[in-house]
Amino acid sequence: MKSPLTLEVLFHIGPLPITEPVLVTWIIMALLTVGAWLSTRRLSFQPSRLQAFLELIVETVDGQIRDTMQVEPGPYRAFIGTLFLFIFVANWSELIPGVEPPTAHIETDAALALLVFVAVIYFGVRASGLKGYLATFASPTPLMIPLNFVESLTRTFSLLVRLFGNVMSGVFVIGIVLSLAGLLVPIPLMALDLLTGAVQAYIFAVLAMVFIAGALSEGKPREKEHERPTA
Amino acid sequence: MTIDWSTLALEAINVAVLMALLGHFFWKPVAALLDERKTAIAHDLADAAAKRSAAETALAAVATERAGIQKEREGVLAKAVADGERERSLRVDKAKDEIEILRAASEAAVAKEKLDVTKALNDKAAALAIAIATRLLNGLDARVLKSPFLDGLAKQIKSLSPSERQSLAGQPLKLSAATELTPDQEQECLRAIEDALGTRPDLSFAFNPDLIAGFALESPNVVVGNSWRHDLDRIRSELAHE
Repeated sequence: MKSPLTLEVLFHIGPLPITEPVLVTWIIMALLTVGAWLSTRRLSFQPSRLQAFLELIVETVDGQIRDTMQVEPGPYRAFIGTLFLFIFVANWSELIPGVEPPTAHIETDAALALLVFVAVIYFGVRASGLKGYLATFASPTPLMIPLNFVESLTRTFSLLVRLFGNVMSGVFVIGIVLSLAGLLVPIPLMALDLLTGAVQAYIFAVLAMVFIAGALSEGKPREKEHERPTA
Repeated sequence: MTIDWSTLALEAINVAVLMALLGHFFWKPVAALLDERKTAIAHDLADAAAKRSAAETALAAVATERAGIQKEREGVLAKAVADGERERSLRVDKAKDEIEILRAASEAAVAKEKLDVTKALNDKAAALAIAIATRLLNGLDARVLKSPFLDGLAKQIKSLSPSERQSLAGQPLKLSAATELTPDQEQECLRAIEDALGTRPDLSFAFNPDLIAGFALESPNVVVGNSWRHDLDRIRSELAHE
């Protein structure tokens, strides 16, 4: 049994080592991209079953963004939706024998968390400007600047650890049970792992939305305080 | 446990590229289609609402037009009834006039017929009277009768204007008598006329039994008569005028 805590270099492209998570990610990227391209070539007002399913995905993501972030989903749809789709497909890729999910390796999860961290900064600066975004760290008082800064790092770290811990532990447990009990015994655990993978994808996307929405809302003036009548 | 930073960087790049690819090939076209469909649905709904509004307006117009048609129908019916009543009245009046004309014509025809019958009866009565008078005179002495008729003729000549008497005197005269005159009677008549005219006339004598009784003095211009024929004709004329 391979440990998800170790990385096996498959080949090199120049000086760059290509590990298994990178290769699986490329395959997932290729599948998703080609599938998206093939399925959206002939979109029409009267949708086929496949198009209806695709529209359901988009509308669900839009609905989640509206409900969670209280904003129009346009600028955030591709980021949040792709995060969810990628993590979901990556978590479920363990169904294919011999394939280890990329999200079971900390590098992939760290990359995803890093992207969320950058996205929070990007959308926060875009919404409030650099000064406005930095001012959010001084909210509610400048004394909170260190704590807010640490919080932005720790919540990113929590994203990383949560996804990595859940997926890696699932892979570990299935591997241990498979090696100890036999071929068909880990099937219930695999089903549970599929559920865990879907839930973790959803949680990761929702938390990303919450973090971005926090950066957007903290940059805005607090209307209720301004509207409060003076005594 | 160690972290492979190159794998981390590659994975970050991979996911970022995947975001761009899916954004281009999946999220953007599907979302655009959804927006386009929403716009089309909104447009169709607005169009349907406009058409419904137009249909309701047209329905209201049709209802108004139907009400107008009903009103116009009632007006036309009322006008037709009024025209019919007027036409009936005109025809009744015309029929009454025609009846009146026919009645007047009938009354005139009846009156004329009555007049004609009356006239015919008068003529018959006159003829009967003449026949009776003629029969009565045939039984009388002609001499008895001559003298009054001759005196009456003289009176009539004298009643003429002088110019008329002068005209009679200068022209040949014919004295018609109802009976054959003897030479003595002719002389008697000549003297009576001469006395009436004041001069001796150029007189000839004629027998005319139609006179029944009496005389008739005739010139080319004037006729002076004193006979029953003249009297009966006058009486008949007066009866006819009555």
